[in-house]
Amino acid sequence: MSARVVLYRLALYRRRRMLLALVLGMIAFETLIIVIARTIPPEQLFAGSVRQPPSAFRAFSGSGGEVSLASYPGLLGAGLVHPFWIAMQLTVVGSLGAAAVAADVEAGTIELLMVRPISRARLLAERTAALVTGSILVTTAAMTAIAVGVAASPRLHDAVPLRGVAAAGVLGLGLALCIAGPVLAVSAAGRHRAQVVGATIALGAVGFAVNFVAQAWSAVSFLRFVSPFHYYTPADALVSGTVPVGSLTLLLGAGLAGIAAAAWLLARRDLAP
Amino acid sequence: MAAVIQLTALTKRYGTTVGIEQLDLEVEAGEVLGFLGPNGAGKTTTIRCMVGLLSPTAGTVRVLGLDPIADHKRLTPQVGYLPGELRLYGELTGAQHLGLLGDLQGRTTPRRDELCQRLELTTRDLGRPVRDYSHGMKQKLGLVQALQHDPEVVILDEPTEGLDPLVQETFYALVSEASQAGRTVFLSSHVLPEVQRACRRVAIVRAGRLVTVEAVAALREARARRVRLTFPDGHDPATVGVDARWSPTWSGTELRLLVHPDEIVPALRRLLELPVTDLAVEEAGLDEAFLAFYRHAEADAEARQPKAPAWGARPWADRAKPGRR
Repeated sequence: MSARVVLYRLALYRRRRMLLALVLGMIAFETLIIVIARTIPPEQLFAGSVRQPPSAFRAFSGSGGEVSLASYPGLLGAGLVHPFWIAMQLTVVGSLGAAAVAADVEAGTIELLMVRPISRARLLAERTAALVTGSILVTTAAMTAIAVGVAASPRLHDAVPLRGVAAAGVLGLGLALCIAGPVLAVSAAGRHRAQVVGATIALGAVGFAVNFVAQAWSAVSFLRFVSPFHYYTPADALVSGTVPVGSLTLLLGAGLAGIAAAAWLLARRDLAP
Repeated sequence: MAAVIQLTALTKRYGTTVGIEQLDLEVEAGEVLGFLGPNGAGKTTTIRCMVGLLSPTAGTVRVLGLDPIADHKRLTPQVGYLPGELRLYGELTGAQHLGLLGDLQGRTTPRRDELCQRLELTTRDLGRPVRDYSHGMKQKLGLVQALQHDPEVVILDEPTEGLDPLVQETFYALVSEASQAGRTVFLSSHVLPEVQRACRRVAIVRAGRLVTVEAVAALREARARRVRLTFPDGHDPATVGVDARWSPTWSGTELRLLVHPDEIVPALRRLLELPVTDLAVEEAGLDEAFLAFYRHAEADAEARQPKAPAWGARPWADRAKPGRR
């Protein structure tokens, strides 16, 4: 193992099989979405009452309201906010987030690592880099599958530019990092990987549910602003071909705030099993 | 000679639970110090403060003149550490572990091959995932990773746990060589013979407090005398009135007692008045001396209560005052 970035490489090496499975799963899932989208002719897609679904359905289309679920970008966007997609992203964040600190504390291996000339900042930096790498791998796999499908289908390509696929991918990575920040903070302060996995699920599932409820019920619509999924609009990015800078900034800002909190917590804690 | 390890009023609490309290201890260069105490006495807490895993609640820790937390990156390349409960990455091989930990150490590992050879870790062993290792093999790997970079200070927590007698011999030789080479060794254990074998001085902790720091030779001299009395067949043990403070135990017609050396002569005069057929006096084992330290430290604590002190508390308790070296 190279003397440099040892902790980064160790985290990825130990989860290589999980990452491979998630990459293949993402490719298979997005390929399935592409195949389904290609089988629906335009006249069926835009016919009937499906054209104007309830506003809460925006939560499932990945759009702020610009793109209907009953469109090709809406269908592809739905594949990027589908619970399966979210679950796979959360698996990466939860697993590599736990691996940052808490898993080593729980297993007792932290005692071997941190009695060597490694600063706590370096531990967090390398483990955060491993998490980001995992998210990039899984997101790139999904986006590559979509890009290949879009490029291979003139009907889809007319509705979705390839730069839109890239933009949606960048936004997806922003969502993953937004959730990763607080998860890393939990890992930096925690003693058990279950705490980190629980926090990951809570942030992902509760965040999605809050966004859905806020869109379905006008009385609590203000709550959508606290959900990361409100800022994650891949269907809009697929159509426009641009990354919504404001939303991405907010997602990355929340993630960086979480990482800063993680660094603060890690510097002040005891590191013993 | 300057102290390589210096603990001053070291205190570590976990909420309301005391890990270690007001511990003062110094270890000089080239010394092998035994750190002795039963499970839960605070040995591992002290060691974790020394390697920077725990921050003290109060007091100071200096190793090679450096603070283990503030000067972590400067200190740790010079330290070799074997944890009490060695946890490894099950899917990595022994060789991968040594490579990984050597890389993280940031120093060359000139002794790796030699240590593997002496501790009988073969190339085949090192090529297997450590989840397939026995406890003893893991411990050998732990010793290699702690010593492979030839550190200035070696901190070992229960190092011979799980090692077979032959490998233990090798371990003692390694400790002796380290000391001769000017390395400082801090060896924590609850096994007295291990400390007796490897160390010149021993610090004894109990319930988070330092009981004493003694030369092993002095501890040996101070140990109790074991007295064996044989009575005629049919003699009623109930008629033999010996003091409970001598820890009497019967085995058939034989009575065994543990008597403090300061009391052995008057005790023997009293015992010879009994109808014994045989009498033998010998030095108690060092384990018993160790246990006596605990017994009398407890008696000392009780003596501070408003009631009569237990027998034997005074001569032993004088040594047992915390902080005394």
